[in-house]
Amino acid sequence: VSALAFVARLLLLVAGSTAAHAAEALDMGRLMRALAAAPAGKVEFRELKHSSLLATPVESRGTLSYRRPDVVEKDVVAPRPERFRIEGDTLSVTRAGKTRSIPLASQPVLGAFAASLRGVLAGDEKLLREYFRVALSGTEADWRLELTPIDEEVARLVAAVAVSGHAARVAVIEVREAGGDRSVLQVR
Amino acid sequence: VSAFARPAARYLAALAVVTILAFIAAREVRIETDFSAFLPPTATQEERLLVSQLREGLVSRLMLVALEGADDRTLARASRALASRLASDPAFEFVANGSREGLATQLDVLMRHRYDLSPRVEPSRFTAEGLRAALQQTLDDLASTAGILTRDTVARDPTGELPALLMAMGAPASPTTRHGVWFSADGRRAFLLAQTRAAGFDSEGQDAAMAQVRGALAPGVNATLTGPGAFAAESRRLIRADTRRLGLWSSALILALLVVVYRSPLAIGLVLVPTALGLLAGVLVVHAAFGAVHAITLAFAATLVGESIDYPSYVLLNAQPGETARRAARRVGGTLMLAVLTTVASASALALSSFQGLAQLGLLTMVGVVVAGLAARFLIPCLLDDRVLTFPRLWLPAFDSLARARWPSFAAMAAVALAAVFLFMKHPGWWENDLASLSPVPAHLRALDAELRREMAAPEVSVFVASTGSSEAEALANASQLPGTLEKARDEGLLRGFDSPARLLPAQEVQAERRAALPPDGELSQNLRAALRGLPFRPDAFAPFLQDVTQARAAPFVTRATYDGTPIGSRLQAQVLSLDGRWIALTSITGITDAKRLSERVAGPDTSLVDLRQVSNAMLEGFRHEAMRQAALGALAIVALLAIGLRSGRRALRVTLPVAGALLLTVATLAALGHRIGVFHLVALLLVLGIGLNYALFFERPPEDEAERERTRLALALCGASTVVTFGILATSATPVLRAIGASVAIGATWSLLLAATGSRKP
Repeated sequence: VSALAFVARLLLLVAGSTAAHAAEALDMGRLMRALAAAPAGKVEFRELKHSSLLATPVESRGTLSYRRPDVVEKDVVAPRPERFRIEGDTLSVTRAGKTRSIPLASQPVLGAFAASLRGVLAGDEKLLREYFRVALSGTEADWRLELTPIDEEVARLVAAVAVSGHAARVAVIEVREAGGDRSVLQVR
Repeated sequence: VSAFARPAARYLAALAVVTILAFIAAREVRIETDFSAFLPPTATQEERLLVSQLREGLVSRLMLVALEGADDRTLARASRALASRLASDPAFEFVANGSREGLATQLDVLMRHRYDLSPRVEPSRFTAEGLRAALQQTLDDLASTAGILTRDTVARDPTGELPALLMAMGAPASPTTRHGVWFSADGRRAFLLAQTRAAGFDSEGQDAAMAQVRGALAPGVNATLTGPGAFAAESRRLIRADTRRLGLWSSALILALLVVVYRSPLAIGLVLVPTALGLLAGVLVVHAAFGAVHAITLAFAATLVGESIDYPSYVLLNAQPGETARRAARRVGGTLMLAVLTTVASASALALSSFQGLAQLGLLTMVGVVVAGLAARFLIPCLLDDRVLTFPRLWLPAFDSLARARWPSFAAMAAVALAAVFLFMKHPGWWENDLASLSPVPAHLRALDAELRREMAAPEVSVFVASTGSSEAEALANASQLPGTLEKARDEGLLRGFDSPARLLPAQEVQAERRAALPPDGELSQNLRAALRGLPFRPDAFAPFLQDVTQARAAPFVTRATYDGTPIGSRLQAQVLSLDGRWIALTSITGITDAKRLSERVAGPDTSLVDLRQVSNAMLEGFRHEAMRQAALGALAIVALLAIGLRSGRRALRVTLPVAGALLLTVATLAALGHRIGVFHLVALLLVLGIGLNYALFFERPPEDEAERERTRLALALCGASTVVTFGILATSATPVLRAIGASVAIGATWSLLLAATGSRKP
């Protein structure tokens, strides 16, 4: 390989990486705008929990709904009814007919959990970056957002949240726990 | 002719004695700062309990740290950093900031002993069916989004004993949490609790611990430290700074006064000798009698200075032109000795007090005035020998008109009558009933502490049920009967919550019974295998559970030592204690609404409801009665002394009446200024009594001629001015104790002087 060819390749490499960087920045903005413009509403999901304790994953089903600007509700129907509702600064958990409200600010992991859902559903890049390092990959038609917690407290429990989707539609939310377990929520 | 015949040698000898005494005092005298010497003495078991709680109780070693001055994220980071720095610091037993790491040790202890502690442990829960139900629940939890929170313990604890235990302990009242650590509701302050190893009253140890906290602080973040220990350190700092500043000012002003009156360095030097001797002798005698001198006693020594500095002036200023001090001393000697003896009588009321601190003060005063009085009477004339001091004449027209006219006497009587009516109508509002008033801590610091405690939702522990027994186990067994009763009372609204030590220290039989509910290893693993059938768990998923059960069965039973180094451990130290050979377990109660009904509900042969506030109020009231009784005895002794010394009941009355009037006026003035009369005011009033008697004695002394009368007036004016100046400065102190004394004496000296002047005798 001649020196000239080497330099040319080096130049290409540098140019390529900046181009990729520019493309990502551009795509992030576009993706967020697209998500922000998507209609809010209610979707059904099924979630698979994979754990080192389990021989086969367990499945739960329910609905996920979003109302602008900030209400997210995860309503589990089976195997055990359970509802998580994020509104304003509070998370309410309803289980066996009893509701408990917890301020989101009280535990870093709650804030991060709420931000991952709200940030993606509302297309709020600022909120996402407040809690996570964000990496975007794929194409507009088939994208994948990798969210890595910034806060150590959160990182102690959650290794990463990966959200993937098609255009303005969220398809899969995968939570990878620090201990190796993971849950994969699939929108139907 | 001996060397002492020469005056110069005598001065040197006097100087040498003062120096040697000062040297011995500085070397030998141990100064103690334990504030409980100034707590009332304890008669009943409840009172001893109160004092032990104040000294070593739940909160006495707890330092409250509030971080502020930055945004909440920065504060949360600072809180974590501080907690981890202090966790490894030997000066602290534990540090809690609401985070999981802070409680890791405690959770670990609870986890290890969950089968001894959880009230749910029963044989049925470890059969195949019982385990099956628990595993079904575990599966649901695992599938849930919330499962992440219990994920790291679920393999060890599939039956959920730890969560059940934490639930049964009840969420301790704690502040709101932000970013995982304690915060005030508005997010402006992050909170930490640090338990120091140093005792709460060990102000030096507390000072060092506070320095550690401040040193471990992230830059840009401010910390406010409160708590009994921080107060001890702070009041030590304040008293030191105060004594330095106040001492400097009052010395300067007294010196200026002396310069104006005497205009002679020799005379000024002489005036200081009796005071210095009296003070040093007093301190040394107190040290010999009590083994140590309390810092507050030393601060009070100012009161001694205030009186003894007057004695030389009575001698020197009473000398006629051309008269030697020796002859003058012989003339006023009787009055001077009477002045000293009456002060001794009033101080003896203090010396007999069962407050150790006040007894020290009484002894210091008695020794101090006797030595200073004798020095003024005999040493000064001896030092001066044949030398005659002349002083410029100062004209004091105010006294003249006071003595000449009749209206001042009537005005004084009217004022005294008014004061009596005022006090009678306001009674008992002007008495101080709060034990906190004894604290040398400035009110604003106490208010800050109260504010932080409120924000931290830390309950003030002043009401509890005391269960006693002849052993720790018996006391705890008695306490373990309470939770059922208290839960019922809570449901009826008699109280908001309670914290029982018995829950965390179950009787050994109970623990053994719980352990017996755990099946042997082989049986348990068989039951587990049966329970797992048909569930999607891996067959070995709960191997850690089997291991834990094996270990739990072999571990030592839970005792108080199990919790050492955790917040629970320090709480139990305070809740289970031995007193006078009996053991007491305290179940603290919060949010009590009907003490009477609750008391009836819990009362038994070995249990009773104790309200520390009531106990402390009763203690102060008891002390006040004691003080009044002793003051009355002291007053009787004084009147008797005067009657004998003056050889006339009429004259004795003429001396005591203005003083009694002045005392009444002083109390009324203090009450009108918003003071509540407490222990320290009473101490100050005793001094006012002493000083007032001196003024009255000298004013009452029939003068030989107009010139002598004028000299007496000058002497008294100087004494009054120096007292008002010294104590007026003390009244600006930052320490409540010193302020109370300063104000009382400055006001009292003024009234005493005015009233005594109205009774001044004509030649």
